[in-house]
Amino acid sequence: MIQVDGLSKRYGSRAVLSDVTFQALPGRVTGFLGPNGAGKSSTLRILLGLDRPAAGSALIDGRPYRSLRHPLRTVGSMLDGSGAHRSRTARDHLAWVASSNGIPHRRVSEVLDQVGLADSGRTRVGRFSLGMGQRLGLAAALLGEPAALVLDEPVNGLDPEGIRWIRGLLRGHADAGGTVLLSSHLMSEVAEIADDLVVITAGRIVAAGSLADVTAGYATLEDAFFGLTDGRQGAAR
Amino acid sequence: MSLWNPFGSELRKTATLPAAWAGVLVALLGSAAITALNALTVRGAVAAGTPERLADTSPFETGFAAMPIIGVVGAVVIGVVVIGSEYTADRAESGGARQIATTLAATPHRPTLFIAKALIVLVFVAMTALVTIPGNIALARAIIGGAGIETVTPAEAVTRSLSTALYWALMGLIALSITTLTRSGVIPLVVLIANSSIVSFSLLLTNLTPLAHWLPDMAGRKLFGFPSEYVVQGGLDPVPGAMVMGGWALVLMVVAGIVFTRRDA
Repeated sequence: MIQVDGLSKRYGSRAVLSDVTFQALPGRVTGFLGPNGAGKSSTLRILLGLDRPAAGSALIDGRPYRSLRHPLRTVGSMLDGSGAHRSRTARDHLAWVASSNGIPHRRVSEVLDQVGLADSGRTRVGRFSLGMGQRLGLAAALLGEPAALVLDEPVNGLDPEGIRWIRGLLRGHADAGGTVLLSSHLMSEVAEIADDLVVITAGRIVAAGSLADVTAGYATLEDAFFGLTDGRQGAAR
Repeated sequence: MSLWNPFGSELRKTATLPAAWAGVLVALLGSAAITALNALTVRGAVAAGTPERLADTSPFETGFAAMPIIGVVGAVVIGVVVIGSEYTADRAESGGARQIATTLAATPHRPTLFIAKALIVLVFVAMTALVTIPGNIALARAIIGGAGIETVTPAEAVTRSLSTALYWALMGLIALSITTLTRSGVIPLVVLIANSSIVSFSLLLTNLTPLAHWLPDMAGRKLFGFPSEYVVQGGLDPVPGAMVMGGWALVLMVVAGIVFTRRDA
């Protein structure tokens, strides 16, 4: 379970997060929805121990990410794209990630197969398309067979087949008891995939709950989104 | 947190990074080219009966001449790319992501990660030194053959080789620390390589103030052990100089380590 409690973060005089509180439960896909610049990535970066909050906490099974001994075996994550150096091959990238957390080397081939990059393992990441980069990022997230997945805009750049595939993958992960937290600014995607919704705008949570609860009183998720976020920042792309 | 997994991971990471091998190859091949040129000059001068044109005809000195410049450049490249590659942005159309997010997600304990990276720099520099220094001396010997007169005793040769490896290692750690602070390899590469090869700003500074002899590269320069008549006079002796240079490396590493641990990725 992922528990975010009272997170605040400022860059200079600008507040990027104000008292952000929500949770993502095991067995469910939680969609973290908001316009670009609303604070989705900032929240996930704090959750993953990359950035520090000014106040509040973000815990995974009751522990801060930085205190996890082999974090990749507990939480698989992907932030904007492959997260790999362009001059290394996909296989070499996954190999160092695996060894950092004592993950058996056979997992490298397994996840490359799983994300559909089995034939591109020896290709340098710099030659990858956006969609392939996303798949590689996802492969790294799956490497440690973690119970929780934290994914920032995972469908970015995926083709329709890839989107359908990732939907199935995440559904299967949650149905097997895993926790899935994914951010997106694409409402149609989130509506297809999420059980629960957390809506953030301008650094504040404006709605959280099951998909049905959040969209109650609105015809569609899109209407709900614009109703909740006041249609700010041209969110619909 | 155990150091073993991060160290193994960083070793694998650096070994699969072409830029790190570029550093090794610069030191090895660049110095070999200079050694070959120098050695052919020595052999030619002896054959022509004009060895007095040269400072000496020692195979060791001939093979050693490139170590303070090209070897240092190699060490700087290694130190810079071990951390600089973490901050290289991917193509914009692929999200412009940096590897550092993956690295810190995998090893969130940052002091451990920083120490692992420092050890990797030492391993790569040591490996480079192990191949480059004896290799160049062997190359000079092979080319000069019996024509030269060795002026350096085996004991001196060993001391100077080890001291040179120490100088490279400290420069590698200094490069690592500075690049950690700048989060980009470009500026440290340009400044450190220019300073150690094209124009030594620190050497020029010694004309303005003797304090410049305490700068890291100047402090450590007697580690190369060149005969005193061939080097700029003044400055620190080898042992105190090495300690001053080591002090610089230590202070920079502590500062870089603290900043690396505390700042947002």
